[in-house]
This record gives sequence, C-alpha cells and structure tokens, in this order.
Amino acid sequence: MTSMHPTFAVVGHPNKGKSSIVSTLAFDDSVQISDTPGTTTKKRSFPLTVDGKVLYELFDTPGFQRARRVLAWLEKHEVPASKKHEVVLAFIEAHKDDERFNDEVQLLEPIMAGAGIIYVVDGSKPYGEEYEAEMEILRWTGQPSMALINHIGESDYSQEWKRALGHYFKMVRTFNPMLATFSQHLLLLESMAQLKEEWIAPVNHSIDLFKAYHEQMFERSANAIAKLMYKSLSHVEQFALTQDDASKEEREQIEERYQVVLRGLEQTSQKQIEQIWNHHHLEKEQESLTFEGVDLFSKESASLFGLTRKELLITGATGGAMTGAGIDLMFGGGTFLLGSTIGAVLGGSSAFFGFNELSDVKVLGKSLGTNYLEMGPMKNINFAYILLNRTLFHTTKIASHSHALREIVQLKMGRTFTEKWMDDTLRKSLEKYHTLFRSKDEVKAEVLSEYEVLIKDVLKHLID
Amino acid sequence: MNLKNYIDFYALLQSHKPSREENRAFGLEIEDVNYSPFKQILLWVQKYEGRLKKPLLSQQIGSYLYGLTLTLAILAFLLGLFSGMGLLSYSGHEPVNVIYFLAMVVLLPLLTMILTFFSMLKAGSSHSFLVHISPAFWMERVLQLLPKKVQHTLKELPLTPQLTNWMLIKRSQLLALLFSLGLLVSLLGMVTTKDIAFAWSTTLQVSPQEFHSYLLSIAFAWRDLFPWAVPSLELIEQSQYFRLGENLDMSMIQNASKLGEWWKFLAFTTLFYAIFLRFTLWLFTQWGFRYALLKSFLSLEGSTTLLREMNEPIISTASPKEEQLFTSHEKQYGMQIAKLNSSYDVTLGWAMSSSELTVLNDTMQVTSKDVFEVGGANSLSEDSAIIAKSQGNVLFYVKSWEPPTMDFVDFLEELVIQVEHVTLTPRGTSNEKYIATQKELEMWGRKLETLHLKKVWLKI
Ligand SMILES: Nc1nc2c(ncn2[C@@H]2O[C@H](COP(=O)(O)OP(=O)(O)O)[C@@H](O)[C@H]2O)c(=O)[nH]1
Ligand SMILES: [Mg+2]
Repeated sequence: MTSMHPTFAVVGHPNKGKSSIVSTLAFDDSVQISDTPGTTTKKRSFPLTVDGKVLYELFDTPGFQRARRVLAWLEKHEVPASKKHEVVLAFIEAHKDDERFNDEVQLLEPIMAGAGIIYVVDGSKPYGEEYEAEMEILRWTGQPSMALINHIGESDYSQEWKRALGHYFKMVRTFNPMLATFSQHLLLLESMAQLKEEWIAPVNHSIDLFKAYHEQMFERSANAIAKLMYKSLSHVEQFALTQDDASKEEREQIEERYQVVLRGLEQTSQKQIEQIWNHHHLEKEQESLTFEGVDLFSKESASLFGLTRKELLITGATGGAMTGAGIDLMFGGGTFLLGSTIGAVLGGSSAFFGFNELSDVKVLGKSLGTNYLEMGPMKNINFAYILLNRTLFHTTKIASHSHALREIVQLKMGRTFTEKWMDDTLRKSLEKYHTLFRSKDEVKAEVLSEYEVLIKDVLKHLID
Repeated sequence: MNLKNYIDFYALLQSHKPSREENRAFGLEIEDVNYSPFKQILLWVQKYEGRLKKPLLSQQIGSYLYGLTLTLAILAFLLGLFSGMGLLSYSGHEPVNVIYFLAMVVLLPLLTMILTFFSMLKAGSSHSFLVHISPAFWMERVLQLLPKKVQHTLKELPLTPQLTNWMLIKRSQLLALLFSLGLLVSLLGMVTTKDIAFAWSTTLQVSPQEFHSYLLSIAFAWRDLFPWAVPSLELIEQSQYFRLGENLDMSMIQNASKLGEWWKFLAFTTLFYAIFLRFTLWLFTQWGFRYALLKSFLSLEGSTTLLREMNEPIISTASPKEEQLFTSHEKQYGMQIAKLNSSYDVTLGWAMSSSELTVLNDTMQVTSKDVFEVGGANSLSEDSAIIAKSQGNVLFYVKSWEPPTMDFVDFLEELVIQVEHVTLTPRGTSNEKYIATQKELEMWGRKLETLHLKKVWLKI
C-alpha cells in the first residue's frame, strides 16, 4: 500500500511543535499553531507540487490522546511481527466513527497508507515513560520512521531523549522550526529521504525544486523592489488647476498627494513581498515612511536609514546627479545658502545639504488650455537610499521569518543595517540607476533588469 | 507581428489578466516555442484576444492610421505624377532639359535617404538634436490631422518614442516611394502620348565628354547589362543646347528623332534611384520598425511578469485546504487555590515515580497517607485499581509542561466519581524548582474549564 510519491506524517504528543514544523517545511503560515493542546483536530496534507504534480506530501496530524488505550487494543491481538500492521488497520477500521479515537485514527491513517513517520518531541523538557505507548504504537505500524527533537524552551534534555528515542528510531535529528534556515530545512529533507530507499530520488528532486522555488522568491522580490524604486523615484503627480496659478492650498495638496502615492507604493510592495514569501497572515509593526524634515533628513535619520553626510556628498558628486539637489549639495544648498549664514553652513545644519526638498512643484501650461500643477520626479538623493534600506530590511526580515511564528513582527532597523550590504562601489553603481530613475528619461526594460540583478545579489548576501 | 498585435497585447494587459495558473498552463501548452519570448506573447495574444471588447482598440487605431496613410499615399503619388508632368512639359519650342528630371530622381532621393538614415540612427532617442528632421516632431504634426478623440486614444497608448519614430520613418519611405512611382508613371505617360525632345543644358562649363562620363557613373548599376539605356556620347553631343535666342541648333533639328532616346536612360535612373533604392530602404525601415515593436512588446509593463508566469513552474507547498478554525476560550478557571493543605488522603502523580512524588511532597511540605504513580507506564487496569483504592482529599501532581491528553482526562473523570476533592497541581521540572510557569497554569486552567468537573481545584 504505497502511494506514487513519498508521504510523511508528522506525529507526536500534543503541543510539541508538529504544526510548527509542518508550517515551516511547507512555507505555509495558515497552519494553526497554539499552546492549547488539541488545536489540530484533522490530519492536513501539505503537498509539494510543481505545476499541479505532487512530488511529496507532508501530513500534519493531531497528537496522540489515548495512546495507552490504543496500545491495549493492539496488544490483545497476539500476532507475529509480520502481521502487526494488519492489526493497526483493523483498529482503524473498527474505530473510524468512534469519537474517542478520532485523533489516533487521523494520525494512523496516513501512516497506514504508506507515509514515513516523523515523530516530534520537545527536547527542552524531560523525557517521560508516557511517551513509550505512542512509540510502541508507531512500531506496530511497521512503517519507516525517524524522530525529530524540537526545542521549544531553553533547557536541554536532548541527551536523555536521544537515549530513549534510540530504542525506537533508527534516525534521530534535531530541528527547530522557528529558527531553521533554508539549508537546515533542506538537510532535514535529505534525512527524510533516507527513510525508504525508493524515496531518495524523488526527495532529491524535491530538494532541487525547493532550491528553484527559493530562487524564484529572490527573483520576484528583486523584481518587486526594482519596480518600487523606479516607480517611487520617477513618480510625477499632476493635477489640473482651476486658475492660472496655484494657490497655497493647491501646492500643499499636491505635496500631500505625492507623499501619499509614495507611501502607497511602499505598502503595496511590502504586501507583494510578503505574498512572495508566503506570509499571507503577517502582522507587523513599523515606523511609517515619513517625509518631515526631522524624520527623513535630520543628521540622525540620514545616517540611520539613508546615507551619511559624507556618503551623500560623495554620491552627489560622483553619481552624475549634477542637477537639482546635486548642485545644491555641491554649492552648499542653493536656496538655503542664501538664507543661512556661513557659520550655519560650516556647522552643517541639515539645510546645508539641500535635501529638505523632495521635488519641485511646478505649474505647467498644457496644450488643452488647462494649467497643471506638477510635482516629481524625486529630486532628493537620499530618499532612494532610505527607501531601499527600508525595503531591503523588510524583505530580509520577511524572508527569514519562520512560517511557524504567529507573533507580530517588529520591524526596527538597526543602526548598522546599511553597513551590512552597501559599500562604495555598490553605492556608485546604484546611484547610476537612481539618477536615471529620477530623470524623466525613458528607462528601458533591460536597464531595469540590470538593476534587479544588483538588488537580487544584495538580497542573497543579506539573507543567506 | 504588427502594431495590431501590440495594441491588442497592451489592451489585454490592461483589461484582462488570466490567473497565474492559466498562464502557466498555456505556457506548458506552447512549450515548443519557449525559446522565443516573443512568439509566446503572440500566441498568448491570439488565445485571449477574443476576450477584448469590440470594437477593438487596435482596429480603431489601425483603420485611422490606414486611412491617413492611404490619403497621404494618394497625395504623394499625385504629387509625383504632377511634378513629373511639369518637368517634362514640352511646348514644342524648346526641348526638355533632362538635368531637372535627373535632379528630381537622383539628387532628391539620395539626399532624403541620407536624412532618413540619420533619423534611423537617432530613432531610439526622444529628444533629437535636429528637431525638424526628428520623426517625432513630424509625427505630432501629422497626428494633429486626426480627430480629437483618436488623438486622445493615441496619447494613452504606450508608444515609445522609438516606436513612433520608426512608424513615421517607415511611412515616410512609403510615401517617397509612391512619389517616385508617380514620377515614373508621368515619364512613361508623357513619352507614350507625346513626342518629346530631350536635351541638356547647363550654365557650368561641362563638355559633352565630361557629361557623358557623369552619366556613365550614374548608370553604373545597369550600364553593362543594358547598354542601350545609357545615352551615347554622340547623343549627348547632339542634344546639348544653349538657350541663346529662340533658334534651335540645326544639328538638333536634324537629329530630332534621336533625341527621344533619352527616355530610356531617364526611366532607368528613376527605377534605380528613386524606386529600387527607396524600396530597399523601405524594407530596411520595415525591419527597424519590427525591431522597435519587438522591444516595445517586451518592455510593456506586465510583459515580463506574463513571461515569467508562463515559463516558471508553479511550485506550491501550502495546504490546498483551509483549516477548520479552532477557537479557544480565554476564560479563567473558576476553582483555583493558591495554597496546598498540609495533608491529603492520597497523593497521585501522573507519569511520575513514587520516589519523585515523595520528594515533591517534601518540597511542598505536604504529608499524605498513600502515594501512587498513575498514567505513565501503568496499564489501564492498574490505574483503575488505584482509583478504587483512593478516597477523600486527593493531591494530584501533573507535569505542568505536558499538555493534558484525553488519557489523563479519562482518568480524572473516573477519579472524581470515587473521591471527594481533587487538587490538581501542575509542577515544573526539577530545573525550574518544580514551579510551573504562568502560561502552563493557564493552559491547564483552560482545559479544566472545558471539563466542568465539580470536585477539581487547580493549584496555581
Ligand atoms: N519557542 C519555540 N516555540 C515553539 C517551537 N515549536 C513549537 N513552539 C510552540 O509550541 C506550541 C505548540 O506548537 P504546535 O506546533 O501547535 O504543536 P502541535 O500541537 O504539536 O502541533 C506553540 O505555542 C508554538 O508556538 C519552537 O521551536 N520554539
Ligand atoms: Mg498541531
């Protein structure tokens, strides 16, 4: 009774992290995980499919509830080892509709249909005799099995667990669903393949697919980020004026709209990235993208989220951005310079950098007889780095966020995040593209994909 | 591949998006062309164009462009025809000077072809250095001839500068070609309906010999194949004329019948320079336009996503079914005690050895007559026997970290029938000094809450 593809049933005592392990292995954050035992009441299949074809299948199951009773039922039947699995089948048959054994029937069914057994225990709590009935039942099924030690808490009892588990399982591995990296994930799959000889090839194939899948995620994230950067930097907001010139309110209004659009773009792209990494239910807490001088362009936030003053100066001078803010930067912030004293300039007030402005607001005459107020594209050099830093940080967090975690994600970018990925050469190549995005020139698809490759490399560096 | 496909593709991307699954399924269906993203897109457009709203945007625009081109083409042809007729008009007094006609069919085409060549080189950029030869500049003028509504639609279209430039370059070549055809037709028409005396004359000092060698080089392409289509030196000598007074050269009059021979040369020159070369250039612009169109296809927003969806396998790991929602009630368990009594009738420990229980009782400073180990490795009948022996006030230790299984619940329910009072005491590990955490106690509380057992108290 073996099915076409390898199947694995994750079983064990309640509350030992079965659902957590499954949701990590399946990149599925919809699995219900809770510290109340009995949350999982039905077995649930998690197939790895490629274009609809199943490569292997993972089962999340409810925990054992009445192990001693089941074992007592089995042991009433004196049979040779070769017939034991038939007794288990008979047990399932006899208790299909018995409420009391719902959980056991649910977890035994996939096993008896040919699934390999993955028995999960918590290595941070002591071993106890009460587990033996469960392990004995699993032995009766005659299916290949392995044990997985999870660590829910701080303490470590894995030595005693290993000794006990060694009596029942040929293979004992450690796996932490909350902290596991992608390569640990693949290693676990490799171990699972060892359960049956004929599973090695299909599981290896699955591993290759997982790698391809992971690669897809990187590519799609880089694509989303490149689009966000391009759209934000090149965005032009326009609106029709009622009169020839714009009123103060209208100017404020367009500025407001411009900022709303940029914030919206960031939010959409974050959602997109969360979808790419299969975090459909994620709740997060983060500071929103602000445009007020203090938050965005102060000495502190500039060095925190964007470039430092020195970097800005170099970038402005080398990036070819000798327009707008770039010139302001070189010559001491044009408009600001006029208003400020030399002392203030030397003292390096934030105005010195001329980055307080996002973009010009211009009144345009149009052929159709209406005047338009226009804002954009982005003029501020630092904005690109602030946005890029934020989005890279978010993506890094999301990509390494376990699908088993259910808490609210805190997105707080540390002081050193930029250093983790950016150096002078990279900044120079990035600035070339940012300058292009900020210009009103057409950006060709192939140029955008060059930028995408750059971003993908950064992501890989940050995440792997 | 044409503009229609492009506009359809654009309209499809705007209005109708098949799901990723549909796109992948189609991608697999046409897997044999996956080496060419472009073919994939065309097939995709073919598959879905039926879903577009009628009348198709592409048809609307196509018919406007067609109408515009046709009108201009007819005009160009007529212009060619009339210019030809003007140049060749022969009053009978004076012969027709071939130099004007030659300028029209050699110099003008060569000059405009060079300009075209320049604009082809600059077709990729939106701002041209010479704005008046920039096709985009003329495109705008031409488009202003269209109805306002169409102009608006055109503005909406994702026509890159490169694409519009090529559209214009291509069409301008077609118009020039038709103009030249007009010239040729007028030449042939005039020659057949009239008896024209061709001659040549110039202010410059050009001897017939020199002129002959010029003509030979103009005729380089056909002089060896069709020597009769190149005027002989003799003919040239005979047909040179000077506009001195009203009188014609006598030798010209004597050779009047021969002077008509020029038309062959003129026809060949027109055919070669104004028509053949132009036609070649037109083919070339056709190719340039296709190239620009191809680029535009691939850079249209949404096309990379579509290609990715068609070519990337859909890998899925998640469960296809929604899980039944589990709701836990957060109510606190009502029957809690904070302090243990100093003595109990029986002490039970779920999956704990009796030695461990003794240590526990000592730690908690509790005494008890009987101490029993239940659950764990016991058989069910052993447990039942212990229940039968128990009575009165029971202190029941459980491992705080182990969730209560139904096995435990069965035992507890059997136990409360037999005894007066059960104090359930979750204990932590020895590392934790037997103290249960708050979370664990809450978990036990929640479980007891669902059981509604009147005699069970939870020690917190
Ligand atoms: N810190 C931590 N908690 C875990 C880990 N695995 C599981 N948990 C927690 O343990 C509880 C039970 O997990 P769950 O996966 O629902 O267990 P199941 O009943 O065996 O399916 C949940 O509160 C999880 O958050 C882990 O590796 N680390
Ligand atoms: Mg579960």
